[in-house]
Amino acid sequence: MQTKIKEYRAKYELTQEELAQKVGVRRETIVFLEKGKYNPSLKLAYQIAKILKTSIEKLFILE
Amino acid sequence: MIGNPKWFERRKYGGWGITPKTWQGWVYIGIMVIPFAIFQSLPFWDNLTRLIIYGIWMLVLIIDILSIMKNLDKDEREEKIEALAERNSTWAMIAVLLAGILYQTYLSAFSQTVKIDWFLVATLAAGTIVKSLSNFILEKKDL
Repeated sequence: MQTKIKEYRAKYELTQEELAQKVGVRRETIVFLEKGKYNPSLKLAYQIAKILKTSIEKLFILE
Repeated sequence: MIGNPKWFERRKYGGWGITPKTWQGWVYIGIMVIPFAIFQSLPFWDNLTRLIIYGIWMLVLIIDILSIMKNLDKDEREEKIEALAERNSTWAMIAVLLAGILYQTYLSAFSQTVKIDWFLVATLAAGTIVKSLSNFILEKKDL
């Protein structure tokens, strides 16, 4: 699964650590999410989308 | 409790339990272990005092470590990794337990006397019960 977390994170000038803290996960989880190597739970996907002021559909692209 | 879960992380390599991830964690280990080791090495305590102190110390340590383990800061990815690692280790243990029981059964048949270590059987039985209970409870729970 591809994600646009990195682009949205840059847009809002958030570091991986800051985003991780806001959604309550470790920085490594954000790293793996950005690389498309981790499929998050619906709850985490929703939380990230909310922080990055977008929708889950725009943030996560199912290949 | 005494220890803070933020000082520790789950032990990933070399067993189960927790391992310090900050200097405070190492201080905690030092405070919990060194005074006890010194107490036990001093010659002027009688056996009863040693036994009582040992019991109380172990109880406090076990309760505190269980509390730390329960409140460890783990995110969903880490929980998933932990669950898969625990499952794999369980399969390895089951394989060894079964091999042990089969070997003992073979020896028993060969010598025509029952020489089975019932702790191995009890371990498998306990695992079966816990698995069944876990499935029963988790099937009804919001996950």
